[in-house]
Amino acid sequence: MIKFSETQRSLAGIIAVTFFLVVAMPALNLFGSEGSFLHISDYQLNLWGKYLCYAVVAVSLNLLWGYTGLLCLGQGLFFALGGYAFGMHLMLMIGEQGAYKSALPDFMVFLGYKELPAHWIPFKSLSFSLLAVLFVPGIVAGVFGFLAFRARIKGVYFAIITQALTYAACLLFFQNSFTFGGNNGFTDFKTVLGNEIFAPSTQRALFFISAVYLSLCLFLIWWLTKTKFGKIQRAIRDSENRVRFSGYSTTTYKLIIFVVAAIMAGIAGALYVPQVGIINPEEMRPSKSLEIVVWVAVGGRATILGPVIGAIFVNWLKSYSTYHYPEYWLIILGALFVLVVLFMPNGIVGLPEQLKGFYRKHRFRFQQKKEAAAEA
Amino acid sequence: MLFRFHNLIISALFLLVSQLSADDTQAREIFVEAILAEGSEQTALVESLSTTASTLVPDFLEAWKRGDIFLLEADGSAAPTPLLEVEPEQEGGTPTYFRVIDGEEMAAGSFDPAALEMARPSRKTRRVFTMTIDLLALSTPNVQERADAALKLGLKRDDDILPKLILLRETETEPSVIEALNEGIAVSMLSHGTKEGQMDAIQLLRDENSIAGLDALKNLRHDLNDGLATHPFSEEELAKLTASIASIESYISWTDFVGTCFRGLSLGAVLLIVALGLAITFGLMGVINMAHGEMIAVGAYSAYISQTVFYSLFSESTFALETYFLFAIPFSFLTAALCGFILERTVIQFLYKRPLESLLATWGVSLILQQGFRLIFGAANRQVRSPSWLLGNVEIFDITFGFNRIFVIGFAILIVFGTWFLMAKTPMGLSIRAVMQDPQMAAAMGIRINRVRMMTFAFGSGLAGLAGVFLSQIGSVGSNLGQSYIVDSFMVVVAGGVGNIVGTVISALGIGVTDQALQPLLGPVMGRICVLVAIILFLQWKPGGLFPSKSRSLD
Amino acid sequence: MSTQEKAEAKKKEFILTCEGLNKSFDGFKVINDLNLYIDKGELRTIIGPNGAGKSTFLDLITGRIRPDSGTIEFGPGEGVALTKMREYQINRLGISRKFQTPSVYSDHTVYDNLLMSLNRNRGAFAALFYRESAADRERIDEILETIRMTEKRSLIAGSLSHGQKQWLEIGMLLAQEPKLLLVDEPAAGMTDEETERTGELLLSLAGSHSLIVIEHDMVFVRQIATKVTVLHQGSILREGTIDHVQSDPKVVEVYLGRQHEK
Repeated sequence: MIKFSETQRSLAGIIAVTFFLVVAMPALNLFGSEGSFLHISDYQLNLWGKYLCYAVVAVSLNLLWGYTGLLCLGQGLFFALGGYAFGMHLMLMIGEQGAYKSALPDFMVFLGYKELPAHWIPFKSLSFSLLAVLFVPGIVAGVFGFLAFRARIKGVYFAIITQALTYAACLLFFQNSFTFGGNNGFTDFKTVLGNEIFAPSTQRALFFISAVYLSLCLFLIWWLTKTKFGKIQRAIRDSENRVRFSGYSTTTYKLIIFVVAAIMAGIAGALYVPQVGIINPEEMRPSKSLEIVVWVAVGGRATILGPVIGAIFVNWLKSYSTYHYPEYWLIILGALFVLVVLFMPNGIVGLPEQLKGFYRKHRFRFQQKKEAAAEA
Repeated sequence: MLFRFHNLIISALFLLVSQLSADDTQAREIFVEAILAEGSEQTALVESLSTTASTLVPDFLEAWKRGDIFLLEADGSAAPTPLLEVEPEQEGGTPTYFRVIDGEEMAAGSFDPAALEMARPSRKTRRVFTMTIDLLALSTPNVQERADAALKLGLKRDDDILPKLILLRETETEPSVIEALNEGIAVSMLSHGTKEGQMDAIQLLRDENSIAGLDALKNLRHDLNDGLATHPFSEEELAKLTASIASIESYISWTDFVGTCFRGLSLGAVLLIVALGLAITFGLMGVINMAHGEMIAVGAYSAYISQTVFYSLFSESTFALETYFLFAIPFSFLTAALCGFILERTVIQFLYKRPLESLLATWGVSLILQQGFRLIFGAANRQVRSPSWLLGNVEIFDITFGFNRIFVIGFAILIVFGTWFLMAKTPMGLSIRAVMQDPQMAAAMGIRINRVRMMTFAFGSGLAGLAGVFLSQIGSVGSNLGQSYIVDSFMVVVAGGVGNIVGTVISALGIGVTDQALQPLLGPVMGRICVLVAIILFLQWKPGGLFPSKSRSLD
Repeated sequence: MSTQEKAEAKKKEFILTCEGLNKSFDGFKVINDLNLYIDKGELRTIIGPNGAGKSTFLDLITGRIRPDSGTIEFGPGEGVALTKMREYQINRLGISRKFQTPSVYSDHTVYDNLLMSLNRNRGAFAALFYRESAADRERIDEILETIRMTEKRSLIAGSLSHGQKQWLEIGMLLAQEPKLLLVDEPAAGMTDEETERTGELLLSLAGSHSLIVIEHDMVFVRQIATKVTVLHQGSILREGTIDHVQSDPKVVEVYLGRQHEK
């Protein structure tokens, strides 16, 4: 039997996931006959598109937390910022089809704006908006990360101030005067890139893009873990001082990783908004970001596919239990987190390994007992 | 809410309708006459209501203004009968009508409601409504109301009222009312008095540090500059006026400053009680307890439960209201401590070596608890009533000190002192500190570390419970009560320096005062955001907080 | 040459010059007007009771903390002032440090531990596109040989014994090709045999490298020491050969407590 290395096995996993998401799911949606077990409905596909965006955020957080040891409790902020940046473009693309038939977005009419605020104007351009999806989360992460890492804020402290960051942003976006729609945020989009936004074909295309994007992120992470950069990343997690005293500027490394993770999450947010049709400050609530952390923990930290599995599993469970047990789903979710942390420290992905360990331990005990019995 | 409030006024009016006194009968007669009269006659009649000394007048005038007075046309040439309409209790019901003249209810069917015509006061009459009510208040037996009315009328700077005020000053015996009258008269004098009167007024307002008179003084200076004033001022007199304004302004900024400090301290005290529990569980034990907020909610719900129990034991008596709170304080501490104890035994004791994961597990617990509260107590917020000794306030030098704020500051001091005593002076505190610094060594020295951790965690949670009792007095009790404080209190602990009680105290008070100082400038939300940003920047300067822990370990 | 010029010329041969160093924590003076000069190629041992400021001294050199006053200069010739530099910059100058508790990357293999320590471009982008060359592999093999861990190359560092971790960390220092090695208690947790080998290794490094070794184990100190500095309350108490220092009554007093009072 040929023994495959860890990297080879993860590569095989990524390829399998890519095939399933990029080829199999769209094919089953397009060609599966209605009502058959293998058919994936448009609704299901859209739901999965949403899950895939969540999965990317989980992957980005894993890059930070799993591989670098930086627990960020504000990853939802970057996701939302990307979503808002693209949402602004979508808002302007509504044109005069809004409820007030005005060239201004509905909420601006409602709040009594006379003209478009200056910082909104460039978002009429698609390319500017796409750049903003990259740069807004990137710059926020860059400035904040620079300050935090320079001051050597890490561990629990880093977690708490990132939480404060997203909390402050959440309060800010809830303000009507902040020109981003207050607590209603952006909604009622009509078109994306000139296509009707809720047409099945558009949603299918968005799913496809999300699936390809997730796969690309997974390949990126896979490649990264192989490089010296990736090794240093994990070394920072385990012994930052040693890395620093070996001539590496850990501040620079952490900053790069933080910014990359923020941009990764921001793009996911931009893909998420046209698929769910709404973005509001709820996404910036500290609890949302905590949820992302939980996806990673449930799936398996510092593994390549763990965050994807965790994000999809928890969100599927959430959809399922909010529908079937609306009163108890928070309790189910909460209990899941407690149990995972206590009994499955390596998450779902680590479960087989953990069970094997159990089995070995018990077999060993059993044999010991048998030997003792034989001796007697 | 608005609707209910509206009804409340009407039912009060209804109660008054059934009582008949000589004053009231006279007032009713004048009122009916006024409704039926027109033009300046109507205005004069309304003005004369101020001499009736009847408590009905404000309610009647309010109802008239609102459009609840209707006219029932009589047959022939007889005058129409004015009726008071009272909205039905339930929406969609039919309103009931009362005769204004004697308060008798009109039997349904004895008239056609559709034929009623709304009685509208003339525009000129409307204008004298408030003044009438205020003048009436000048004759109430309530001292505070009388003083308020005197000042309010003075501020109107109406030359018709001025003589009335001067007249009243001669008969008034209550010193606080005389003071208010003086102030009011002085303000009126500024616009209508002689030159001497004006100069006296300027001096008086300055001596009295009259905040109410500031606008009038400023107006006068404005008028003088524009040449609109009745008497031109000399340089010297103008300087006196300016000095008076400056003196009052500096007095205001002083009272503002003290008031802000006081409000900041009380907010800081609440934050402190919340954060102190956290400083113990997070700072000393290294456990990030995201369910700390829910421990606060446990405390608040315990206050609600003790109120409910007291009400059912002693019925809704004053005794129950006044005493339940004294019971609620220890009860909340114990329930929250018990919850903390259970949490520590079931979850946290396995996670002392994995602080970041204790964060996740306790967040799960917090979700469970939040939903648990909703299932037990319902999704709607619960109201906890404050005992009267927490509700009042005392005004010193124009600064309002609320009893509840004073109480919370006092209580915070007590708790801080108690915690300090426990940590620094008792054998228990010694073992706690030993376990926090080096659990292995402590265990080797014979300290039962499991027991110490358990007790410490329960104590920290109990403090959160105490915070909950106070939050229940400030707002209503809901399942996510703790959530709104958790981020702030984490920041308090981090900014103060983890594991340091003195640091926690200073940073809680500092954040409380900063927050209150920024609020009037930036609004509550922006103020809060600025505080959060300020803390992040502060950590740039002092990454370990105010009092960083001095550890020699590398990582 | 005047005496002053001589002193100047002499100064140029020092690899490390510390003058007038002061550092206090909360009013407590940990380093008190410390002056220390290390010759190029010298192996200097620093001893002293607990709290004498030994580790703090290393912290000051490596930039982990900043002195309240005083200068630290590195290198023969025109010295480079270290007091304003960051840790990684100081390390890149050629100063490597071994920590008191062995500090290795516990999740990586022995080989990767050394690979990451190699004196190559440590920039983020260089790390991203780094490919190990034959020369790199040879160098690592060489170091593995030196620290006698060739057969343990693919073990996870976290699974090594305490002594082995110490060796690995020394190997990581060698991989950095430093000019000056700061070694904090290298013999702690080692068997007698391992300790002796460590001593031999350090002695073999002296000459081509400069070393500062902090140690408590007097047998070990005797093995390696040519020149010993005794630190007490943040300043130098005595300096000289091990025999000279060990027979000094003041040093004995500091180490063994207040003998005179007995």
